[in-house]
Amino acid sequence: MSGRPLIELRDLRYTYLAGTPKASEALRGVSLRVGEGERVAVVGPTRSGKSTLVAALVHLLRLGRGQVFYRGEDIAAPGYDRTALRREIGVVFQQPEAQIVEDVVGADVAFGPTAAGLPAEETRRRVQESLDAVGLPYRQFRLRYVHALSGGQRRRVALAGMLAMRPPVLVLDEPAAGLDPRGRGELLALLRRLLAERGPTLVVCSASLDGAALLCDRVVVLDAGRVVLDAPLRRALAEADRLAALDVTLPEAAALARELRPFFPDLPAGVLDGEELEKELLARLGAA
Amino acid sequence: MLELQRNVIFGQFVDTGSAVHRMDPRIKLGATFVLVAASFLVDSFLGFALLGLLAAAIQAASRVPPAYLLRGSAIFLGFLLFILAFQVLFYAGEVPEGGYLWRWGFLSVSVPGLESAATLGLRVVLLYYVTTMLMLTTSLVDLTAGLEQIFSPLQRLRVPVNELVLVFVIAVKFVPIFIEEIERLARARTARGVPFDEGGALARARRIGRLLVPIFIGGFARADVLTTAMQVRCYRGGRHRTRLRRLAASPSDWAALLAVTAWAAAAWWVPGALP
Repeated sequence: MSGRPLIELRDLRYTYLAGTPKASEALRGVSLRVGEGERVAVVGPTRSGKSTLVAALVHLLRLGRGQVFYRGEDIAAPGYDRTALRREIGVVFQQPEAQIVEDVVGADVAFGPTAAGLPAEETRRRVQESLDAVGLPYRQFRLRYVHALSGGQRRRVALAGMLAMRPPVLVLDEPAAGLDPRGRGELLALLRRLLAERGPTLVVCSASLDGAALLCDRVVVLDAGRVVLDAPLRRALAEADRLAALDVTLPEAAALARELRPFFPDLPAGVLDGEELEKELLARLGAA
Repeated sequence: MLELQRNVIFGQFVDTGSAVHRMDPRIKLGATFVLVAASFLVDSFLGFALLGLLAAAIQAASRVPPAYLLRGSAIFLGFLLFILAFQVLFYAGEVPEGGYLWRWGFLSVSVPGLESAATLGLRVVLLYYVTTMLMLTTSLVDLTAGLEQIFSPLQRLRVPVNELVLVFVIAVKFVPIFIEEIERLARARTARGVPFDEGGALARARRIGRLLVPIFIGGFARADVLTTAMQVRCYRGGRHRTRLRRLAASPSDWAALLAVTAWAAAAWWVPGALP
C-alpha cells in the first residue's frame, strides 16, 4: 500500500435502530485501510458485520462523522458528494434481486449511466460492453425480462449494472451465495477476467474463504463486529484452525491439508490449491 | 440513509415481557374495543384528559419506551396535523359573534373551528394509540388466537371466522414488511446513483412515489409465495387446528378489563354530569 489509503475505516461502530428496543449492534469498532488496487477479502460468520460494512462504504447507513473516509475525505461530512462516491464504489449486494431496478435487462444496466446523465450513445456503448463482459451477449439479452432469468443470470445483470458505471472500486457481498457449482465457476472466471482487464480495487465479503475470496491477496476476518485477523492470504490460511473455529469455510486444498495434519505434522496449512498440496504431499511421501 | 422502521412502528411487536404483554389477548382485544368505543363517544376535553391518564398508565405498565413510540409515530402525527390544519381553515360550522381570530376570504381561524379540530385530533390520536399499543404488546400468534376465539360464535352463522382473522392479521403484519421493502428498494437505487438521502422534502417524496409500483408488484409476489408456503404445509383453515398453548384469562386480567371499562365509562359520563 502506498501513501494515502483509498478507503479508510476508523473505529467504525454501527447499531441498527439505535435507541429503540429493537437495537442491534452490528459493528463494534472496525479499523481498516484499503489501498488503491488492493484486493481484500472480508470473511466471517453470519452476523459478523460484513453486510453492514459494505453498506457503510457507500453511506447507506446513518453514519457518524470521522468513521469512513474515501480518498482521505470523510464521507459523512455535510456537503460531501455521496452520489459521486456511489459512482466510484460499485456495490453488488448479497441478493442481486435487491439491486435490479428495471424489468428489462438493457434498461436496468442503463439505470446507473442514465442517472449519471451520460449521453444516450455512451450509455448504449456501456450497456453493451458490460453485458458482454458478464457473459450475457448484448444482442441476445438486452430485451429480456429480468424475472424470466435464472438466479445466476440475474446476479450477472446486477454486476453488469455496476460495471456500466465503470467504478474504480468494486465491492461484492457474497457474490457466489446460492449459485450452483457451475454458476460459481462461471462467476469466478468472469471476475478473474475483469480483474486482469480492468484491475479495480476489490473488496469481497464472504462466509467462505473459497472461490471469489481466493482472488484476493489480503484477508480480513470479522467476528461479532470486530476485526480479529488482518493478514496476507497465505498467512491467513496458515491460521486454519482459528478460521475453522469461526465457521469460515476454508478452500478445499487448505481444508484437506488441515485434515492430513495428524499424518504429516509439518504440512503447511497455507496451501492455495490442489496442485500445491500435491507437491507438498509428494515431497513428504518421497522422503518416507 | 433511510431508516424508516425507526419512524413507522405501526404493526410491530416489541416484547418487553411486561404485565401487559402477558395478559390474555382476548382481554386486551376487549379493552381495545372499549377504548375505541370511548374515543368515539367521549366529547369533552376533560374526558379526553381522563383517557390520556389511562393511556399513560398503560404505557408505563407496558414498559415500551415512550420515546420509541413517539418517534415511531412522528410521520403519522405530522400527517394528522397537516389534515387538521385544513379542518380549522375550512371550518364551515356556526361561529358566534367574536369567535373569529383571523379571517381571509373563505379561510378562517375560529374558536369553534379550533375546538372541533382538536376533538377530532384527540379522537384519531387515541384510536391510533390504542391499536398501536395492542400490536406492540401482542404477538401475531396471540392476536390470531384471541380474535378467532372472540369471533368463534359467528362460525355457527357460517361466517368464515378463521379465514377472515387470518386475512386481517396478514394485512396488519404486511405493514412492517412493506416498510422494509421500501427501505430495500431505496437502498438499491441509492447504491446505483439515485440518492434517496439528499434533496428537499418534495424531491424525496417524489422519489418515494416512484417506488409504489415495484412495491405493489413485490407485494403480489410475496402473497403468492405465502400462499404456496401455506398450501405445501397443508393449511386448510383453522377448524381442524389444535393449539399448543391454550388461552386462559386470569382473575387479574378480568380485573384489568373491568378497570379500563369503568375508567372509560367515567371519562364519557363524568364531564356531562358535572354542573
